[in-house]
Amino acid sequence: MNKILEVRDLVKMYPGFTLDRVSFALEEGKITGFIGRNGAGKTTTLHSLLGLLHPDGGEIRFRGEDFAACERDARQRIGFVSAGMEFYRRKKLKTITAVTKSFYERWDEDAYRRLLGKFALDEEKTPEKLSNGMKIKYLLALALSHGAELLILDEPTSGLDPVSREELLEIFLDLRDGGKTILFSTHITSDLDKTADNILYIADGKIRAEATLEDFVASYRLVEYAQADPALEAKLIGPRRSKNGKTALIRAADAGEIPVTSRAVNLEEIMVHLEKEAAGE
Amino acid sequence: MRKLLKKELSLCLHPAAVLMLPLSALTLVPNYPYAVTWFYMTLGIFFICLGGRENHDVIYTLTLPVAKRDAVTARFLLAILLELVQILLAYGFMRLHRVLLPEPNAAGMDANLALIGEGFLFFGLYHLVFFPSYYRDVNRVGMSFVKGAVFAALFVIADIVCCYTLPPVRDVLDTPDPLHLGAKLAFLAVSVAVYAAATLLALRISQRCFEAQDIR
Repeated sequence: MNKILEVRDLVKMYPGFTLDRVSFALEEGKITGFIGRNGAGKTTTLHSLLGLLHPDGGEIRFRGEDFAACERDARQRIGFVSAGMEFYRRKKLKTITAVTKSFYERWDEDAYRRLLGKFALDEEKTPEKLSNGMKIKYLLALALSHGAELLILDEPTSGLDPVSREELLEIFLDLRDGGKTILFSTHITSDLDKTADNILYIADGKIRAEATLEDFVASYRLVEYAQADPALEAKLIGPRRSKNGKTALIRAADAGEIPVTSRAVNLEEIMVHLEKEAAGE
Repeated sequence: MRKLLKKELSLCLHPAAVLMLPLSALTLVPNYPYAVTWFYMTLGIFFICLGGRENHDVIYTLTLPVAKRDAVTARFLLAILLELVQILLAYGFMRLHRVLLPEPNAAGMDANLALIGEGFLFFGLYHLVFFPSYYRDVNRVGMSFVKGAVFAALFVIADIVCCYTLPPVRDVLDTPDPLHLGAKLAFLAVSVAVYAAATLLALRISQRCFEAQDIR
């Protein structure tokens, strides 16, 4: 398994928030979903990876080399796409592209033209005339045309309608199949159910889970109940009200030891119950 | 650096900065504090930095394969380019002024070579006031501009006061060209040297501040 990016013990301290010894690795050619509630530390982690923030400690390695030492080369190979990041909203796309491509040694004009056609982007338009989905597609076209091997996507599907989201998810899957590595930060967990190979779960600045999507989802089950007896209550994780009573997670290993039936869970159910548990409510 | 300067010109140059250039023609207005002309370009630089914030210029730039300090240098080069064009235009209008309005200026320095020297002095010192403050926190560009505007106001006031009270300024520098040409050229040379030194110092401080800054 090739690791394209490795993060070890990343620390960033703010008054009231600490990114606490965050460690993970990204497997080449896979989509890694980065989940956590708002304020959990996703964007702080991503911005540290991009060098926008100065970590107070830790190490970032890109293809085995210290990121700081190979920063310029690494930036040639990394693409960053963030929802709501509207660059130069009154400049024509062709002007932005002309400037952007001049910085990249491996700019592929043919690939850029193909992507423009595929995404139905008009270079005469300005970013302010594009829908949110089209803005993301434009940023993706730039990132992919400069030969980015690693795409860091920060909430790329936020604010998109379901059809546009599905379109983008298909594009991510195509990219993955083409060998690109994607770190996909989002709190729309259903997008990751459909695309992610691996999951990173962060809460309160700490990585709580790093696993394949299958293993992560299979490690929990969901129970629905009206009243919990003490034996059941001891095994419940993050109980919360539901339409017909209560729901809670249990560890998959405990499924055979409880008196109620359980079912498989999705990422969203895991996240909301774990967050509830962490909040101690 | 050439690519970054191209980026500054293509994506960051605010129309307001270009519109400030013809204001060099204010040196044609009789009895006007010509030092104000330089202030207008600082407005142009402010609009470039403000537009940069609104257009996420810093994040765009820092995701490119460039060093953070080079992004600062490129912004300085853009400012220097605009200032030199403004000074050059002012020099042209000043020559015209000498033909059309030979009378002395009652509101500060005459339109003469010493005024050009003042321009260099003003911009050099302005760089020291504005840019380190701006690069300490690029999101608080308004506060940096206020500091710069206070400096500019003090500079203009000092210019007018000195033209009335300080004998070397009143009797030598604030005179129509070509009177005291040697002294004015010496003042111009010193001002250019101050401009270069202050700009270099401001650049170094700004680069250090920007390197240390977390971009959010």
